[in-house]
Amino acid sequence: MKKALFLLLVFSTTGALSLLFARQSFATTLETLAAALPRSTGVWTAQDPDRTYDAETIFDYIDGAGEVYRAYNMRRCLSRRYTARDAPPIVLDVFDMGSFADAFGVFTHDRDGEPVDAGQEGLYRPGWLSFWKGRFFVSIYAERETKGAKEAVFALARAVDSSIGERGPKPEILAQLPPGGLEEQSVRYLHHPMLLNYHYYLSDENLLSLGPETEALLASYRRQEARARLLLVRYPGEEKARAAHREFLAHYLPGGEGGKAVRLENGKWSAAAGKGRVLSIILEADSRSLAEDLLQETGSLP
Amino acid sequence: MGIRKKGITRRDFLRAGTSLTLGGLAGLPLAEASPDRGGSKSRVVLVRDQNVLDGNERINPVVLEGMLDRAVTALLESPGPSSAWKRLVSPEDVVGIKTNVWPYLPTPEPLNAALRNRLIEAGVREERISADDRGVLQNPVFRRSTALINVRPMRTHHWSGLGTLLKNYIMFVPEPSWYHGNACERLGAIWHLPHVRGKTRLNLLVMITPLFHGMGPHHFSSRHTWGYGGLIASVDPVAADATGARILQAKRNAFFGEERPISPPPRHIAAADTLFGLGNSRPERVELVRVGWEDGVLL
Repeated sequence: MKKALFLLLVFSTTGALSLLFARQSFATTLETLAAALPRSTGVWTAQDPDRTYDAETIFDYIDGAGEVYRAYNMRRCLSRRYTARDAPPIVLDVFDMGSFADAFGVFTHDRDGEPVDAGQEGLYRPGWLSFWKGRFFVSIYAERETKGAKEAVFALARAVDSSIGERGPKPEILAQLPPGGLEEQSVRYLHHPMLLNYHYYLSDENLLSLGPETEALLASYRRQEARARLLLVRYPGEEKARAAHREFLAHYLPGGEGGKAVRLENGKWSAAAGKGRVLSIILEADSRSLAEDLLQETGSLP
Repeated sequence: MGIRKKGITRRDFLRAGTSLTLGGLAGLPLAEASPDRGGSKSRVVLVRDQNVLDGNERINPVVLEGMLDRAVTALLESPGPSSAWKRLVSPEDVVGIKTNVWPYLPTPEPLNAALRNRLIEAGVREERISADDRGVLQNPVFRRSTALINVRPMRTHHWSGLGTLLKNYIMFVPEPSWYHGNACERLGAIWHLPHVRGKTRLNLLVMITPLFHGMGPHHFSSRHTWGYGGLIASVDPVAADATGARILQAKRNAFFGEERPISPPPRHIAAADTLFGLGNSRPERVELVRVGWEDGVLL
């Protein structure tokens, strides 16, 4: 009995300490990063002080877009503003997303732009550079693009990239996407039904029971001239996956039992099948054969 | 036994024979359940002036003030702005001008100044007028207000699809995020709160340099604004927003060279019509009066 109590005490203390260290290490990491980042880039100088926001206070900073970061479980955001005389301000935002997967996910929310050598999969559009690295999502935004501002944005990106150091793996579920005809830039990784609707409006109800515990991938395909959209959802358990499949068939795709392709009102084809914890849905395909082939390749058909 | 219908799906839009773009704006198929308002239409005035912006995209206050006068005069079919404003407010009123301070595209200060001037000319004492956004719940003028003027620029929005006149009242609740569910669909409910209900005399949707697409955490790029030079006025916020939404949608389609629905669909506009009875969202229930510059009107 005494031994059991002793072990309980040891485990409790260890658990509490590891939680404490985890929190400390988490906070320190963002603060360490802040300390390592340059205070100037080109002629731009950082304004004091840095600002930090959490999932509650993020609305004070970025209004409605805060919901996007919350939907990816953001922990904290570090914001630093660089200014220079007669030049547009440059805003650096570093989001600690708490996991590699969510850093990748929030990066995939906006994948327009040209690939650049910054972090993991860096992208640049006029005035805005973004990348993910490790569990961080990084955004560097110039309020107006000038030649000097663009150079400063890129220099800052390189500095942030090297300060973060650790790279992160992409979510495992990506391996389940059929490779043939996949348009890499179209891939979105998400949890929240509103984000699915942002990229592909499906329903105003959460028909697929998406939530923090589900991982969803939305991807576009092109094979010859035929196009298709695929949605993969991995649930925490098989029963939840089966229930979502039933709901989807009942409310969106009657007649789609057994993975049968159904013609939609716009002439495109949709099909769905589930296996284990994963539900695969061809949301739209230009032809029945493409819908059936793609569904087959997800491995979800019996 | 049949299966209970669960929400509105993409297939409902497809069955209704409309694209997501048009359906999303009209609120189809929700709009089929629009309350019967006896066939009455909402009057919406769109005033445009190509001289409201100079070559550096700076607002010309004199031109903007003239646009405001033309909008209000046409809206109330009055002989002039003075009589129009006297119909909108009385000297006994306490007036809150609900602005929007979003730093990238705020309500233009010259417009706030013009509104103050017109209210004072209509007999409202200066100390009974206040313009505010984030502080409306604490602002003493707003707390005892008898009339509200709602004025803001239109823009795309990450979570509600559009930043609208309807959405501008979200600061009248202590926790705005309570209304973020389902693309902010229930924003119309705010307009029925006791401290808001029935007070709005005029809605002005600023369309001078609207934002038709957002990117990044700050959701702003000057590349995605354009000099439309417009001002939309209506007593009906839903009709004004629906009209502005049609313009932004048309601009998106033109800019991207393909149909690019506002995303997420701005459901709160149709819901304000069908669920909250605040006005008319469907184009056939809007009486649109166009005044001024016609090039690139997109309607």
